[in-house]
This record gives sequence, structure tokens and C-alpha cells, in this order.
Amino acid sequence: MVRNDYFKYTLILAVICFVASALLGAVYSVTNPIILSQQALQEQSGLREVLPEAKSFEAVKEGENILYFTAFGPGENVLGYVFKASKKGYSSEIATLVGVDQAGVISRVKILSQNETPGLGTRIIEALWFQEQFRGKKSDNLSNGVQAITGATITSRAVISSINEKAKEIMERVHGR
Amino acid sequence: MADKYIVSSSPHFVGKESIPSIMWTVNIALLPAGIIGIAVFGKAGFWLVAACILTAMATEYVIQKGRRQPITVSDGSAFMTGLLLAFNLPAYCPLWVGAFGSFFAIAICKQAFGGLGRNIFNPALAGRAFLMAAWPKYLTVFNKPFVYDAVTQATPLGLLKEGKAHSVVDMGLTYWDLFLGNKSGCLGEVCIFALLLGGIYLLYKKIITWHIPISFILTVAVFTQIFKGDYLFNILSGGLVLGAVFMATDYVTSPITKIGQVIFGVLCGLLTSVIRIWGGYPEGVCYAILIANATVPLIDRFVKPRRYGVGI
Amino acid sequence: MKKLWREFIKGIWTENPIFFIVLGLCPTLAVSTSVNNAVGMGVAVIFVLVCSNVIISMMRNIIPDKIRIPCYIVVIASFVGIVEMAMKAYAPALDKALGVYVPLIVVNCIILGRAEAFASKNPVIASLIDGLGMGVGFFLALFVISAVREVLGSGKFAGFAIPVTFEPAAILVLAPGALLVLGLLMGGIRWIKSLRS
Repeated sequence: MVRNDYFKYTLILAVICFVASALLGAVYSVTNPIILSQQALQEQSGLREVLPEAKSFEAVKEGENILYFTAFGPGENVLGYVFKASKKGYSSEIATLVGVDQAGVISRVKILSQNETPGLGTRIIEALWFQEQFRGKKSDNLSNGVQAITGATITSRAVISSINEKAKEIMERVHGR
Repeated sequence: MADKYIVSSSPHFVGKESIPSIMWTVNIALLPAGIIGIAVFGKAGFWLVAACILTAMATEYVIQKGRRQPITVSDGSAFMTGLLLAFNLPAYCPLWVGAFGSFFAIAICKQAFGGLGRNIFNPALAGRAFLMAAWPKYLTVFNKPFVYDAVTQATPLGLLKEGKAHSVVDMGLTYWDLFLGNKSGCLGEVCIFALLLGGIYLLYKKIITWHIPISFILTVAVFTQIFKGDYLFNILSGGLVLGAVFMATDYVTSPITKIGQVIFGVLCGLLTSVIRIWGGYPEGVCYAILIANATVPLIDRFVKPRRYGVGI
Repeated sequence: MKKLWREFIKGIWTENPIFFIVLGLCPTLAVSTSVNNAVGMGVAVIFVLVCSNVIISMMRNIIPDKIRIPCYIVVIASFVGIVEMAMKAYAPALDKALGVYVPLIVVNCIILGRAEAFASKNPVIASLIDGLGMGVGFFLALFVISAVREVLGSGKFAGFAIPVTFEPAAILVLAPGALLVLGLLMGGIRWIKSLRS
């Protein structure tokens, strides 16, 4: 009797799961291509924002991880590089996308994600001068030319030092120095 | 003859103390710090104090009237909350910010929990914490002393946290400056001397005992000396003396027993030191006391006074 | 017909899932920082709630009592999976804003609660109406809370800056502000209800 019950339960649950998975599989096959192309588009537009002169980008990977992107100009020449710098700020991990030329001079930076204190740490996004001040600076030697936001020292320093450190790493990789 | 025979139950002797007498005595004890604070920063400080106190009292009046409860505004507790909140703000903080803080402190932290005696957290500090989260930029800008204008200057602890100065000498100050109030900071916290005067008065009047202030300050001194050095600087900076003498000792939000009070004081000291040394904020007294307030029911449960007549 | 209308309206006022039944507070607190997020979440929950109520009601005589919870969860999770994939494909900005709270709709107590309390015991049409009412009630509550928080906390409405004369209080877009606004609104609405009765 009991064995009969368990058999019935298992059968019903299995049928429900089977129908559910079939439905999910169908929706997946329709939406997945759209999702992938969207992600690629977002990535491209992000890269273009920090290095607008580039015509195309190529990811340089180590296994599955993307280390950085090489940016190519119209004539297939190397214009520069784009990399993502990330460091813990005051209350969250702050990720910044940085576009540099071959020598490591910054074209533009874009803070991708942060979850800092509203009104204090979030001023790194609200005060436009903070991100704009990085233009034209040498990415692996940032100490004096850039200012922190008053009242958001830890947040600002996280951004500045993450760019500095990652830039040194990338420049070493690229130039072998 | 029958009317000379009075039948009643205890208490048969009633002391002179009452809630108003205690509250107003504390308010008087706070006067020196307030007067010197205004002398250091200018009359903006006076307006801030007035705004906070008036809003606190008005809020309590309106709420008690609306709920048809007896009006207890004249007992001095709302006055004290407003006064202490103003003492914990920078002197040039906008009046509307102080007013909102007072409103929150009385309406939500005190009345919503059931009125005097039923709040879990110190209302003035809860108000300050609320303001810090709501309008942080007004609570992180401090003023230069003796300039009588809104000229900003970082506080000693602020300079330390930002790494711009590492000792008293670096900051161009002496220990006397720190003790007497020639430094930047909140309105009521700068003059340690005046605060200690008020504290000694309260000890004399037996309103507070030494347990919480001494254990609080001593813990901060020892801990900061071990991990950072210069205990004297740490004792004389920030809101430590103000918090230890006037805010941690609040009857409603501190433990009942003496041993419990010492535990509470040590806990406050530990939390303050940890926030000051490793935390994101330069000063930790406000949050340390609030967190410790939350542990008070627990402390009271485990530290029971000896029952009269039972055992040795 | 009148009975169905009553089933619908109860989800919006007398048995509003957030203010009176007090379920589903986790996404409420987290997602109500802006009106756009609230609307997105509200629509997603309405979809999942209606669909799961209908399916569970259709199968109410087939699902054995002893394994009803796993069965309900599989049904609900499938619909949430569909919503998540659809969102990622057609509204990626919303998906990024709602983040982890989209998959968390699976354990939203309102959905499992209505499945257990209503859909498992009532016919399909009634369950559909109940799901719709509860979902709309959740949506409206979320909308009101997020409107308050976004306007007073960041000076914007639906992402558009509105000319405000006051300075927004940042605490309202943080967790403590969520609890404050929810508590005060809940108190206010319950007081209004007590006046009417």
C-alpha cells in the first residue's frame, strides 16, 4: 500500500517536472539568442564609450577570463587597451572601465557599478568632474593629478587606486616591462 | 481623632526626586558646555539649540495632545533630547536639519515606543543617526573655532581618519586646546572642561554614578593606547566625554545594576575604539552607544541584583 | 458575478497582501527604491501569481496532499523562470535593476500563500480572480511605497527629476528608510480602515 503511494507521488511529481522543463526549454530556446546578442551589444557599447576612436576590440583571455581588450583603429593598428579595474570601496565593490592608449594615457573612464553611501560615496557618479578628471592622465601613475571627493575619501581612493594598480598590471603584460 | 488615622500601603516616605527635578538638573549641568560651545562657534550655535529644543517640545506636545495623553512636555525630557541633539551637531548645521532630527527623536524614537521610560534607544543619538543617513553632507562638515562664521575645518579625529595628520602636533594643537575647546567639532562636544564640570555636578547631586563614564572612558583609553597610541588624544577628542557622561548614563537606556553598567560602559568603549581605529567613520561614540543600548535588556537579564534576604 | 468582484477587490483593500496580510515584505523593501523597479516587479508578480494560481487550481484534485509543496514550488519556479528569461531578453535594464529579486519571486510568500490558502481549494476562475486581485493589490502597495521613497529620498519620480523645494533625505532609499516608510504607511492605512468600520 505504502509503496503504491510513493510510486504515485513520484510519478505525479515527475510528470509535473517534465512538463515544466519542456516549457522552460522552449522559452529558453527562443530567448537565449536574444539575450546573448544583447550582452554582446552592451559590452561593445561600453568599450566604445571609454575609447571612442577605436573601430574594433578583441578580448585577450586567459582560459575563460577576459584580462583586457585590445583596441584597433581603422587601419588594423593597435590604438590602445580597455580594462576593468575593481576594488572594494566603502560599502561595495566598485568596478570601473578604463580606456587607455598604447602608452597608458587614459582616454576615458566609466564607473560601471557601485553601491556606496547615497549622498556621499555616490557623488563619484553624480559629480561629473570626478570621472572626467582622469582624461589625459597616465593610468599607472595617478597619485597627484587626481582629487578625491570631499567626504567620500575611501570611495574615491578605491576608484583611483584600482585604476592605478590594474593599469600597472596591464602595461606590464602588454609591454613586458 | 479618626481623621488622624491614615491607612495606606507603602511607600511611606517619598523622596524629593521627581522626573522633572532630575531632568532639569541634567539640563543645568549641560549649560556650561552649551555656553562655551556658543562662545567658540558663534550665535549660529544658539539658534541651532533653540530650533532643536523647540521642535522637540512642540512634537511631544502635539503627539500627546493628539493621542489624548497627559501633556508632560514641562518635565524637561524633551528639552534635554533637543539640547543633546543640538550638542551632537556641527554648529552651522541648518536649522531645518536639526528640527527634523528632533522630530524623529521624539516622535519615532520616544513616543512611538510608548513615551518616556519605554524607548530602547537614546532618542538624541537616534536622531543624530537618522540625520547622518538622511542628509550626510550637513553632518560631516565642521567649523573652525573662534571665527564666528561658517568656515570649515576638519576635526582632529577627521584628520586622523583621512591620514592627513598623525598626532596632536601635526594638527597644530596642544592637549590644552583639546581640553578647553579650541578645536573643530560638534557644538557641545568641544569643551571637555565644561562637560566635566557638568559631570561632577551630576555626581554631586547623585543623578549619575561614576560606573558608566569611567568604564567607558577607561576602555577607550586602554584600547586606543594599545592599538594606536596616544590615549590622551583619544580621550580628549570627539564626542567621547559628552557621550560617556551625558548620553550613555541615560536611565532609560542603560542597565539597572552597577555591574551591568560597568559591562555597558566597557562595551561602549570597545565599540567606540573599534569604529575609530578600523571603521569607516572618524568617530564612533554615537553608534557605539546605540548598539550598546540594544544589548541592555540582555545585560539586565543576566546581571540580576542580589535578592533581599536570600543567601549570602 | 458579485462574488467574483468581491474576490478581486479583497486583494486590493481589505486583505492587501502587504498592508494587511503582511506577506512578501522582502521584495517590497528592496525593490521600492524607485517607481520603475516597483512597476516592473509588480507586473512580474501579477503574471506569476495569476498563472500559478490557475495551474494549481486546475491540478488541485490531482496533486496529492503529502507532496503539495514541492509541486507548487515547481509550478511557481517554472513561471518565474519564464519571466526571468523574458525580462533578460526584452527588458535587460529592468532585469539588472531588480537583480536577484527576480528569482526570489519563487519564494515570495504571497504566491505560495495564495496557492495554499485559495487555489488549492477553489475553482479555476475564482483562483484566477483571486490571483489578479492579490497581484494588483501588491502592485498598488509597492507603487505607493516606491513613490514616497523615490520622491522624498532622491527627488525623482520614475527616474525623472522633479523640481523639489526640499532636499531629499537619502535615508529613504536605504534599508532603514524602507522600514520607516512601510511602517508609517501601514499604520496610516490601518488607521483609515479602522475609521471606516
